[in-house]
Amino acid sequence: MRVHIVKREDCPLLKKILLIVGAVALALVLGGLVLLAMGVNPLEYYFKMFTMGMVGNKIAYKAVENYLKILVPLILTALGLSLAFKMRFWNIGGEGQFIVGAIAATAVAFQVGPVLPTPVVLLLMCVAAMAAAGLLGLFVAALKVKFGTNETLLTLMLNYIALYFLTFLGETKADWNFFLNPDSARPTFASFASLVSFPRIMLGKFGLNICVIITVLLGVLVYVYLKRTKQGYEIAVVGDSMGTARYAGMKVSTIVLRTVFLSACLIGLAAAFKVGTAGILSTSFTDDVGWTGIIVAWLAKLSTVGIFLVSALIGVLQYGSTAAAATFASVDSSFADMLQGVILFLVLAADFFTRFRVVIAKKEVERHG
Amino acid sequence: MDDKLNIVTTFLHNIIVYNIPLLYGTVGEITIEKSGSLNLGVEGTMAVGAIFGYILGCYANSMLVGILLAFLTAALCGLIFAVLTVTLQANQNITGLTITTFGLGVFFFVGNGVKAVSWPAMNNYPNIQNGFADLPIPGLSKIPVLGEVLFDHNILVYLGVVIALVMWWYLKYTRTGLRLRSVGENPAAADSVGINVRRYKYLHIMLGSGIMGIGGYYMGLNMNGSLSSSCWTNGYGWIAVALVIFANWSPAFAMVGTVVFGFFNTLRVSGPSLAGAFPETLGWLAGVPSQLYQALPFIITALVLIATSVKKSKHSGQPAALGLNYFREER
Repeated sequence: MRVHIVKREDCPLLKKILLIVGAVALALVLGGLVLLAMGVNPLEYYFKMFTMGMVGNKIAYKAVENYLKILVPLILTALGLSLAFKMRFWNIGGEGQFIVGAIAATAVAFQVGPVLPTPVVLLLMCVAAMAAAGLLGLFVAALKVKFGTNETLLTLMLNYIALYFLTFLGETKADWNFFLNPDSARPTFASFASLVSFPRIMLGKFGLNICVIITVLLGVLVYVYLKRTKQGYEIAVVGDSMGTARYAGMKVSTIVLRTVFLSACLIGLAAAFKVGTAGILSTSFTDDVGWTGIIVAWLAKLSTVGIFLVSALIGVLQYGSTAAAATFASVDSSFADMLQGVILFLVLAADFFTRFRVVIAKKEVERHG
Repeated sequence: MDDKLNIVTTFLHNIIVYNIPLLYGTVGEITIEKSGSLNLGVEGTMAVGAIFGYILGCYANSMLVGILLAFLTAALCGLIFAVLTVTLQANQNITGLTITTFGLGVFFFVGNGVKAVSWPAMNNYPNIQNGFADLPIPGLSKIPVLGEVLFDHNILVYLGVVIALVMWWYLKYTRTGLRLRSVGENPAAADSVGINVRRYKYLHIMLGSGIMGIGGYYMGLNMNGSLSSSCWTNGYGWIAVALVIFANWSPAFAMVGTVVFGFFNTLRVSGPSLAGAFPETLGWLAGVPSQLYQALPFIITALVLIATSVKKSKHSGQPAALGLNYFREER
């Protein structure tokens, strides 16, 4: 008897969903065992986590607002990354592109915030963030197309260069440095919340940030772009096979440059939304969204709808663990990172069975072959 | 004058003391990458080795137990990576990043969990405290300046150098090393001449991860085992990923690279005292922003990456099949 592994052509959607749900459930069980060992009731903990501490909470609408604040940048970053990943362009520079986008948006807020009307400033902030992030992405894509530079490693390096540039801005007191609070003796970032911030639509006490609506609209746009336009089709072909794309007469390098630029633009926009809502920069303001976005995009198998769903789940894990930590003091909020890791390990493992079939070949078949 | 000499000696001595973990991380990652796998989980793997090595080493009051457990727990991270990417064909980038998320999660979960009960303080464990003390090499350590800089270190510094030299020799001059490189270059060809590609990948991913783990353990000891809000590994795992490229996938060059990157890293801390000791020649050091030193390893590596790709260098040590999974049935 011999075991063969054969690639599957396609896998029924139901099976895919069952495998993923099963993997997540198994991860929760494993996490539950850890909780049990610590003397914490896993059901109570998970209840607190998945309801994000909202049940029996009078200011639950605040929790929803904060949850959406985590969700918006995560979804947009993952959407952006998914464009590049579809072409197998390994842009892991989301973190760096996010940072330069936020710096550009903040610079605009300080420079033109006091003189121009708010809607114009907000628009300019978004444009500046998209341009800055987009150009950073384009720089890597150009090197990749022209010289075959390894984009995974180069974007990784750029993440840290951007991060230390941000730290430099945040820690250097100087006349030119308008990012800092002039009234503070120690270097701290200045807030521009009083100058400009993204408006909220009030539904009773609950404030729906306009960024949330734009994010949903962009999700629809990206979906249509990928599924219904010529450019979206080109991305799919390039991702499938560079050779086929060239043979079909497509300008592969143009497609790569354009798509990576768009990819980074979306990440820049995510940064503008994030910093434009918070009204202030900080050296840890990214919340690792560039990294988590990669995981989200991949878990969602680069599907646009999937990205919304997976982001919602990861957001619950991250925000819920903080909420649960308030009740269960003995469980550190790093439990969420660990759980997120285990979920992904199991989903990656389950993914194998959607892509491959294990065939057990009988002896006579082997002799025949 | 003696004072000035002391400052320089301390500076050079510290380059080694604070940056040896980079050597562990880099040599470990080279071992893995030579098998054709790009593991971006260095930071998480080091963190896992660090926390288990430190806590269990203290409980056993034994340096050796610490080293072994750091190695083994980190090697387990390698096993997860290998199962997912080699057997289950998962994407290497994603798996590596997940190892990092997971590893840092484990670090804080275990660390803060133990801290909530009772944290083992390093100075309560004499064998650990003394085990990490400097161990001057007789004779050599008496050479002025050079002796203190190179031959008066704790045992893990020597171990790191020995591991780097052994791995260099292993990759370059042994039969198995040659086979390993062939797996990284062209797994299908290696497979066709009867090399067990899967076994080579599994073993070297685990070995490399284990080496990283010792580096993490070192960082914990070097921080005197005090746990704060930032992880002991402190981004060194990512610098190690960069250093692999700078070192052109050679453990011997990794030692040079560690000193070069370490030079900038240490200058960040020692810059002001050097500027104070030599105001005329080195006074400008005081004006260099510390973030530039932090960014330099990444800037240099980015330039190296670009330069080697522009030159299409034939001498690149980058394995041809790096980052690609090997699916046997598709040969």
